[in-house]
Amino acid sequence: MSKKEITILTDVSLVTCVVQRGKADDVVKAAQEVGAQGATVYYARGSGIRESLGILGLAIDVEKEAINILVANDQIDRIFEKMYLAGQLDTPGMGIMYVTPLEKAATYIPHEIVERLAKPVVGPAS
Amino acid sequence: MKKEIRFGDFVREVVVHQQQISYNDLAPAVEINEHGEETIEATRRYKMRSVDLYRILKPYVNIRLMEQVKAVVPLALYLVLFQVLILRQGITDSWLISGGMISVIIGLMFFMEGLKVGLMPFGESIGTTLPAKSKLPVVMIIAFILGIGVTFAEPAIGALKAAGSIVDVNQAPYLYAMLNIYANTMVLMVGIGVGLAAVLGTLRFLYGWSLKPLVYLTLVPTIALTIYFQSIPELSTILGLAWDCGAVTTGPVTVPLVLSLGIGIAAAAGKGNSSLSGFGIVMLASLFPIIAVMLLALYVSSVISPAEIITIANNTVNDNAILPWYERTPGLEVVLGIRAIVPLVLFLIFVMVVVLREKINKKLDIAFGITLCVLGMIIFNVGLSYGLAKLGGQSGGLVPSAFTHIDVVLSSPLYTFATGFFVALLFAWFLGFGATLAEPALNALGMTVQNLTNGAFRKSMLMYAVSLGVGTGISLGVVKIVFNIPIAYLLVPGYLIAAILTYFSTEEFVNIAWDSAGVTTGPVTVPLVLAMGLGFGKAVGAVEGFGILSMASIGPIIFVLLTGLYIQWRIKRRHEIEDKEPEIEHEEGLPI
Repeated sequence: MSKKEITILTDVSLVTCVVQRGKADDVVKAAQEVGAQGATVYYARGSGIRESLGILGLAIDVEKEAINILVANDQIDRIFEKMYLAGQLDTPGMGIMYVTPLEKAATYIPHEIVERLAKPVVGPAS
Repeated sequence: MKKEIRFGDFVREVVVHQQQISYNDLAPAVEINEHGEETIEATRRYKMRSVDLYRILKPYVNIRLMEQVKAVVPLALYLVLFQVLILRQGITDSWLISGGMISVIIGLMFFMEGLKVGLMPFGESIGTTLPAKSKLPVVMIIAFILGIGVTFAEPAIGALKAAGSIVDVNQAPYLYAMLNIYANTMVLMVGIGVGLAAVLGTLRFLYGWSLKPLVYLTLVPTIALTIYFQSIPELSTILGLAWDCGAVTTGPVTVPLVLSLGIGIAAAAGKGNSSLSGFGIVMLASLFPIIAVMLLALYVSSVISPAEIITIANNTVNDNAILPWYERTPGLEVVLGIRAIVPLVLFLIFVMVVVLREKINKKLDIAFGITLCVLGMIIFNVGLSYGLAKLGGQSGGLVPSAFTHIDVVLSSPLYTFATGFFVALLFAWFLGFGATLAEPALNALGMTVQNLTNGAFRKSMLMYAVSLGVGTGISLGVVKIVFNIPIAYLLVPGYLIAAILTYFSTEEFVNIAWDSAGVTTGPVTVPLVLAMGLGFGKAVGAVEGFGILSMASIGPIIFVLLTGLYIQWRIKRRHEIEDKEPEIEHEEGLPI
């Protein structure tokens, strides 16, 4: 039997938020203020509302930033709300966001926390 | 009184209210039509509240507006503060000038955005597809015509025409003729110069020619013509104008459009890898127009005599009583704006559709961009004559009051000649230095250069070298006007020094230095400095006030070349020390 251990995080959700290029920092900051711990931002190109806005669409950048944030299920609503307001997503063309429930996640978890909180997984592994 | 609140109610109050809509209801339904094909019901146009419009447009406009505000306001403030604090003169027509400045800012904002949305996509797609689809001669012809087109579209070129009305026909008949009777021909000649530069610059990309021989080859005829012109008194008045034309051409339209074409051609030929391929065109585009304008002056002097020009000039002054609508203020600017942009656009569309047989994508966006461009040009032209030219002319005309007597200022000279002249020089120096340091294009060039030289030529170093060069150049230009020194006496030695320095410099620094001059002359600086020089010249009674811009071009070339040589020397010395170091260690090791 291997001695290596993997600690699995449960009750995690993924919040994805797509905003115009340059706006991601504000949204991430807002999310971190209410408990989000980290964020991944990547560049993307999007279409949709820009076309249906006609000439006004020119004011909207085609280039987007997509933000991925993993949040604890208990915090989803608070973070979701803050990000929505920080990104001004109630304005046409500003962006879109959604939450995806995740089955599990894994990353580095400080040792003492593992000792305090981890429960053995009952399953085929052990 | 005790009050109770259920925690659940509290939470509901604090938290943002949520409503639900099923996406099933929102998404367009898929229907099957009579042919059995799936069709999607047409997307609805959203009805926008005004707050939505405001929220979309505010950040969009804000960024673009602030860019221009940063370019215009500090410069204008500097002139105004200098005039009020040092010269103790109020600003006449202050409301008109403020209005003019606002329209410069708005005009430039529209123009730049229109350029980005409407014209640049053409430039990019022509640059990438043209070399692949057409033969080299066709490409060269198109590059040539494009060079002419972009010159007419350059916003600062209007400033030259505006300057024409100030020239005194009796003192400098040929200068007057060039700026008034032959104004459009002159712009065309400048355009031909830029066109030739575009062709030659592109060939340079293709065959990887070194810039040094090109520098020598263009300098020889330019300087020879300059010396010839200087020897003939009637023609010598043209020199300042001719050399200033070179500085005017390298603005926000020419540089990106011509460069994108050149880089596209070099990339299609598989030679776009050279890190320096973007350089060189700007330098050619600022020297060729000088030759072209001098050649035109030669032609003008052969067909028309000074006496004839004076008669023509006097006649036109009499005709000025009633001008047709297209030569009066709002109409004139509209006509100028349309004439500047539309031919270029038509040519670009012609190349796209007829030569390349490419479809034009995003017609709506491009039409919008072109409209913005024309609109911006019109507003900018209005601001040019009522804001930039007026303010520049006013402060230029008042600065001499610091050291000499002029009629407008009663208490002049305000200071003793030496102090006052020093103040005026300092004013000119800081104007050039500050305006250049704030130029966004210089910042961009600095970044490129820092990357190209692997950090040997630091960004700040280049920016300071160029700004010092412009400041010194403008001060020398002021000296030229005050003491009425023929411009050739300053330019010929200046370019000779530059040529000698070029001989000793490496290819990289030659490229950077000769292009750095073109970057500094933006659409705000050019009209302001031009008008200032003319006002200055008028106040001290000089024949013509041109030449300051050309001094501002040669200054940075020399300064950047010198900085380049210093860096070369420092690198060499470091290598020498590194070579010696092992020996030193060896010696230290011996006694043990």
